[in-house]
Amino acid sequence: MLAPGLARLIDDRPADGVFRVSRTMFDDPAIFDLEMKRIFEGGWVFLGLASQAPEPHDFFTTTVGRVPVLVSRDGDGRLAAFVNSCPHRGAMIAQTMCGNAKLHVCAYHSWSFDSAGRNKGVKWQEAGCYTPAFEGERKDLARLPAFGEHKGFLFGSLVADVPPLADWLGEAAKLLDLVAEQSEDGMELVPGAVIFTFAGNWKLQLENCSDAYHFTSAHPSYIRLLEQRKEKPDPSTIGSVWADDPAWSEAAEGIQGGSYSFPYGHVLNWGRMDVSPALPLYERAEELAERVGIERRAWMFSMRNLTIFPNLQVAENASSQLRVIRPLGPGRTEMRTWCLAPRGESAAARRQRIRQYEDFFNPSGMATPDDTVSYENCQRGFASRVEPWLLGHARGLGASKAGGNALSASIGLAPERSVIGGSQLCDETLFHSYYREWARRMAGALPA
Amino acid sequence: MTLTHAEAEVLLTREAMLLDRGDWDEWLALYAEDAIFWMPAWRDELNPTEDPDSELSLIYYKGRRNLEDRVWRARSGLSVASAPRPRVVHQVTNVLVEDGHRVAASFSTHLFDKRAERTHTFFGRYDYALVRTAEDGAWKIAMKKITLLNDTIPTVVDFYSV
Repeated sequence: MLAPGLARLIDDRPADGVFRVSRTMFDDPAIFDLEMKRIFEGGWVFLGLASQAPEPHDFFTTTVGRVPVLVSRDGDGRLAAFVNSCPHRGAMIAQTMCGNAKLHVCAYHSWSFDSAGRNKGVKWQEAGCYTPAFEGERKDLARLPAFGEHKGFLFGSLVADVPPLADWLGEAAKLLDLVAEQSEDGMELVPGAVIFTFAGNWKLQLENCSDAYHFTSAHPSYIRLLEQRKEKPDPSTIGSVWADDPAWSEAAEGIQGGSYSFPYGHVLNWGRMDVSPALPLYERAEELAERVGIERRAWMFSMRNLTIFPNLQVAENASSQLRVIRPLGPGRTEMRTWCLAPRGESAAARRQRIRQYEDFFNPSGMATPDDTVSYENCQRGFASRVEPWLLGHARGLGASKAGGNALSASIGLAPERSVIGGSQLCDETLFHSYYREWARRMAGALPA
Repeated sequence: MTLTHAEAEVLLTREAMLLDRGDWDEWLALYAEDAIFWMPAWRDELNPTEDPDSELSLIYYKGRRNLEDRVWRARSGLSVASAPRPRVVHQVTNVLVEDGHRVAASFSTHLFDKRAERTHTFFGRYDYALVRTAEDGAWKIAMKKITLLNDTIPTVVDFYSV
């Protein structure tokens, strides 16, 4: 099946004040196949955190596009990423989510590999009547051609032709730093991974994380509950920073939030929040002011939803979540989610963080299901081609400007574009960054 | 007074029926004021999380008020995920009374979500701690732990689905 041309998928005409995306983007199998090859298997993606394999010989497994990947720390403490597939017949070598192994032995024919991916044995090699040609073959696990770390965030690529990691992250790396530097000792995942699926395209998740417009429409039950908890306080319930947050209040005035867009499709959606005891980070407020300064501390306490295109999202609002997007099909997506926390926080702060997380972020909580069910409603609606263009990428077009603003400058952040405004502006132009990067990656693969 | 097998079976069956029928006020009345309602997450393939204060759970509440909040939300008309709610049937088996007031059981639930045209089964284990109330001598739920064995969640899991 041939994918439709780019001009029928993204209508990007800045001079006319138009940016439209077609429904076809979300449910066409030919497009999904190209996305796997060009985006997920054709460039940098997030793999996991270095803290998921802290000790020598620790490993964890993940996927890059459709490819199983093993991230392993060798005996000298060096991390590397490998295709998790035996060079002999292709069987997946490591079969568990995580573990510790000096030697990985293939369960199918017992070829073995050390924690640095080096072949340590071909069973019965001498008796195998191999030819000299075979003796000369590389028998190690295939390394990912590109692999890198930024402050504990690990990235890899199945192709070598990618920009250096620092260039690809660019200014958006400073937003990862706002996460990683909340503790001097870095960050960690709270034990317990929560995995869920939804019957919708992966780009619905990409957009929703950056979408301030849906909050009061999709989550009124959560907002009303927070109000009720304030009206009838009970020590058994957990408070939330949203309960005091002006960003969604009709009465809020002045600058409440906005967005920053960066090259390569990375974006931030942010809302102003106070240095508030409703956040577990509050116990570090003084220490942070000294260590990172008042301006960076203000950003650490503000609501920030960050996407590192295409598969990493860090949401810091009701609590702190690390999400990895794994597309399974044009209409099916898996989300792997964790509670992300600064190392060394007090037991009380950790408990508060976990309770706030479960309340808001879990598929068993009181907010995320209202998002994912809405994605599924969108996916059904995408079947229509009566009017293929969506009108969901136009808010803020009249407010988007090149470069940053005083708030980004306060932490030395230089975005490509920015929008700033009141609580009801709810910019949608940050999605453009996703789709422009998408178009760049598809160049040559789609008809004009 | 220790808990009899028959009393345990009746209570667990009654809870399942109340959830399935949507009689959630009566369901809440089965719980003690300070009850724990806990569904752990999983650390890896075989180990559920054990310490809700330092590890993530799918759901962890201490205090019935939190369950009342969940019931309010499910009925509120303000949650697209909660309405129309799926049709659910709980099946509770292998009921075993342990230690005078603790009950272990297995469960499976079958759900049909008409909007999504999706049928799903959740299955796992229940561990209860029951307490006999002073007023009328009835057994109430002091703790319910739901160990969900198939924890790749298809979109939503709520208190009435497990």
